[in-house]
Amino acid sequence: MLYREALNKALDEMMEKDETVVILGEDVGFYGGNYRVTEGLYAKYGEKRAIDTPIAENSIVGNAIGMAIGGLRPVAEIMTVNFILIAMDQIVNQMAKLRYMSGGKVELPMVVRTPQGVSKQLAAQHSQSLERFFTSTPGLITMVASDATAAYYGLKYAIELDDPVIFLEHELLYPMKMEIQERKDFDPFKADVVKEGKDITVVSYLKMLHDTLQAVSVIEKELGVSVEVINLHSLNPLDMETISKSVKKTGRFVIVTEEPKTGSFAGEIVSKVTEELFYQLDAPPLRICGEDVPTPYNRKLELLSIPTPDKIAKQIIYWGRENGI
Amino acid sequence: MGKSIVERAYYLMKLGRVFEERAKEEYMKGNIAGFLHLAIGEEAVHVGATLAFGKGDLFVHYREHVWALARGMSPKTVMAELFGKKTGVSKGKGGSMHLFDPAFNFYGGNAIVGAHLPHAVGAAYARKYLGHSEGVLVAFGDGATNAGNYYESLNLASLWELPVLFLNENNFYAIGTRVDRASAVKELYKKAKEFMPAVRIDGMNFFEVFDAVSKAKEYIETEGKPYYIEALTYRYEPHSMSDPGDYRSPRELKVFHDKDPVEFLKKEGIKRGLLTQEFIKQIDERVEKEVEEAVQFALKSPEPEDKELYTDIFCEVCTDVVP
Amino acid sequence: MEYKVVMPQLTDTMEEGKIVRWLKKEGDYVKKDEPLVEIESDKAVMEVPSMREGVLVKILAEEGEELPVGQPIAVIETEVEKAKEEVGKPVEVKKEEKPPEKRKEKVEIKVEGIKPPEKIKLPEGSASPSARKLAGELGLNLKELQGKGEIPTPAHEKDIKEYFYKKFFTKSALDILKEYNLDPEDVYKEIGKKKIDKTDLERYIKTKNIPITQKPSDIQSVLIKNLSKSTQIPVYYITHQFDISLILKQEKYTITAYIIKIFGDVMQDHPKIRTVYRNGMFYTYPSSNISVAISVGEELFNPTIKNVETKSLKQVYEDLQNLREKSKEKKLTVEDIQGATFSISNLGMFGIKQFFPVIPPFHSGIAGIGVAVDGIISVSFTFDHRVVNGVQAAQFVIELEKRMKDQKYIKSLK
Repeated sequence: MLYREALNKALDEMMEKDETVVILGEDVGFYGGNYRVTEGLYAKYGEKRAIDTPIAENSIVGNAIGMAIGGLRPVAEIMTVNFILIAMDQIVNQMAKLRYMSGGKVELPMVVRTPQGVSKQLAAQHSQSLERFFTSTPGLITMVASDATAAYYGLKYAIELDDPVIFLEHELLYPMKMEIQERKDFDPFKADVVKEGKDITVVSYLKMLHDTLQAVSVIEKELGVSVEVINLHSLNPLDMETISKSVKKTGRFVIVTEEPKTGSFAGEIVSKVTEELFYQLDAPPLRICGEDVPTPYNRKLELLSIPTPDKIAKQIIYWGRENGI
Repeated sequence: MGKSIVERAYYLMKLGRVFEERAKEEYMKGNIAGFLHLAIGEEAVHVGATLAFGKGDLFVHYREHVWALARGMSPKTVMAELFGKKTGVSKGKGGSMHLFDPAFNFYGGNAIVGAHLPHAVGAAYARKYLGHSEGVLVAFGDGATNAGNYYESLNLASLWELPVLFLNENNFYAIGTRVDRASAVKELYKKAKEFMPAVRIDGMNFFEVFDAVSKAKEYIETEGKPYYIEALTYRYEPHSMSDPGDYRSPRELKVFHDKDPVEFLKKEGIKRGLLTQEFIKQIDERVEKEVEEAVQFALKSPEPEDKELYTDIFCEVCTDVVP
Repeated sequence: MEYKVVMPQLTDTMEEGKIVRWLKKEGDYVKKDEPLVEIESDKAVMEVPSMREGVLVKILAEEGEELPVGQPIAVIETEVEKAKEEVGKPVEVKKEEKPPEKRKEKVEIKVEGIKPPEKIKLPEGSASPSARKLAGELGLNLKELQGKGEIPTPAHEKDIKEYFYKKFFTKSALDILKEYNLDPEDVYKEIGKKKIDKTDLERYIKTKNIPITQKPSDIQSVLIKNLSKSTQIPVYYITHQFDISLILKQEKYTITAYIIKIFGDVMQDHPKIRTVYRNGMFYTYPSSNISVAISVGEELFNPTIKNVETKSLKQVYEDLQNLREKSKEKKLTVEDIQGATFSISNLGMFGIKQFFPVIPPFHSGIAGIGVAVDGIISVSFTFDHRVVNGVQAAQFVIELEKRMKDQKYIKSLK
């Protein structure tokens, strides 16, 4: 199964189960989705439930809010996270705040799905990781799906939630082959320890999780340590319990994200770790992030602008040696 | 219309056609990557409008290779940009969707649908304020007419009486969604009529495009007000390289292939005595050679150096100040 | 001119593609832009047109094949005259015509080039938060110790621990800590002495009655599992005294070797002793295969001497020695420990008169051999009642006794 098919399966099952679930977005219906995530749903559920919209992101999210108020459970697709910026007023001023401003009386059971990240040579306006904007907005739940299991169970969970969810995917994960693990008890607000270790805690998600896992064995061999890897399913709320438990054991914390470093979500998570676990830390926390540049088109420069398995390994090894490993 | 203009038009349209066909081939070979949006079939609009409009500021969408070539940018530096090379117009940092060259008053190359319409309005405001007489041309697709930016721009250009020519290239599809499934008003020029004079023309016909844009240019520059043209055209290729394009019927494709703008110009030019077979043959050969040279140039050009990652983010002064 | 058609890059993320269907066959004339082949990319199946006009002289990739982008899949001859000769001829695709390197991006991790970190000069007292915390808990003056060069600057947790261990424990005390898996910090706080030595620790362990904890080895784990299985076997016991004075007179080989040989011979006439019960079925084997309990340190092995009935006494003895060696060196193979239907355990060499051994799983029985007193040994049998009934067992035991008293037979054993 492909990652994108796990998302499709989740949408299909939720639409089958609950007729108030609708999907909307650019080319999500007749065309089947630009990344083929919504393929087949138009044929199965019709144009009233697989709704094609014009290129009007502000309306896609705004309409979804209205649909949620009106009694539906909309799942809006923004073709890529880059276009979500046009809908930021709806997301930040409306979607995130309606429950609070109404004293809890207005409920928005809705999801905005969108892929982010650097794909391959799509240049600056199509290659961004913007999780920071969502995670720093009170009132939003920001989920990430790093594998088929999180994609399938996570999206179903998000649709069933009575609060607005930003559901982040990654363009390079769509065509990746993976399986859905049986996880009936899947809870997106609990992080997974995907690899146990006792000397370094590395937290990551989306494409960078896969790159991190590729780097781990090299790091372990080179530094003679064991590395614990944590996969987040939700960025806000954040499962500090799992992170804290791990850092208490290892005393060392690394976060790997694709976004530019300055002002990043990685910075936020480092703050939390430092605040809560300062006296447990045996090394300064390490952020491995994208460079502070717009993403260049040229492939060589593009790869220089983001973490890669090679860079992750090198940076952690250097940092480890610098800090007494 | 003078002979020299038609000759120039044939050269540019043929150059655009051959250039893009070759770009497609180079993409398939893996020399070009990312998104590649081809304008094959839309050359009459891009070339006709450019030749008629002259040198004024130009703001374009991401399907802009032919616009750039028509403006006079070199096929070599444009091809090199597609290859991501140092010698490209944007130093290999922008790629197919981001061709820029202020020397040609060419401001992109924008990959966010409709985002450049407000830029055109602002640029027109600045030019007017600074006492320039030339208007601003902004080109956009049918998809952009459903976005908020569109209405905001029409309103402001009209309210502030700015010399903007809004050129809507209606190629009937926003990726896979046909215009009538996305727009409540099916004749798009009517979506502008309340704000400014608006006309609909055959965008496959160079002569019609050239005349309409000439007239529009005169209007915006003498009246100092905006003008709107909807040019009906067609992209023979799918939206981008990764789009299978299977949402269009063979019949529809045939209708528009029969109206091929390059073939039309050839036929009509000869009929009107403005082009000769010999000239066409000459141009065809020249264009093939120029495109081949462009590909060789791009292939041989160096990759940008690693340090380029951190250049061009700020001006020189700021680069010194900002660490 | 030959034009090589390559596996096209059709999407921004495509690395390889599958040939779905050729729309032209070898020898066909293709126009430019005419559909040539259907390819499945990572997004969809697409018709790929020909980039050149000419004759398709060779197809290099079959339908269903998956190939990386850039790999040649067909050849088009653009000179039609030349094409006539070329059609069907084998086309050599040179080996070096591999797809360009950058097509399939491999993940390469190279760590050789990492510079050693620059030594940062920090003032004494610099330490990681956890190192500082630990030093505080242990009452160490970090600044002073760093000044004397006893702890590096900056200090990390492991530096404090190393210093602390060396400073407050003698070498032999550290070994004991390790053996008992004790936390040095806890012990240090509890004992409350400046330098802790072996005697202090031994006293501490005694007072607190601290056990040595140990995980069973893999072999022990298997044994434990098997012993648990054994308790589920319905067994009964028979004890019999054997007069082995004839054997004792020979003195050539060990008593165990004699007993194995005699048991092996007798088993030939008693098929039930060669039978095991496994998963609802009885399995009767032709060979007299006898396993022997061998203990090495904490571990117990049960290797098998095979085909005892065909072997000489000497061979049995040598086999036994050989298996003992292998057990000691832990070199027993799966082959060595399989196939026995009866087992023998001898504690007689330790002076034990009589004991009742536990039957190993998938055996008909086991015999426990005691020490010889005045030429008499006491042997206790444990039988699997599902396999061997009391009468059959008694017949087997009586036959064994007969053989041991048979002078001619015993003498014949060489």
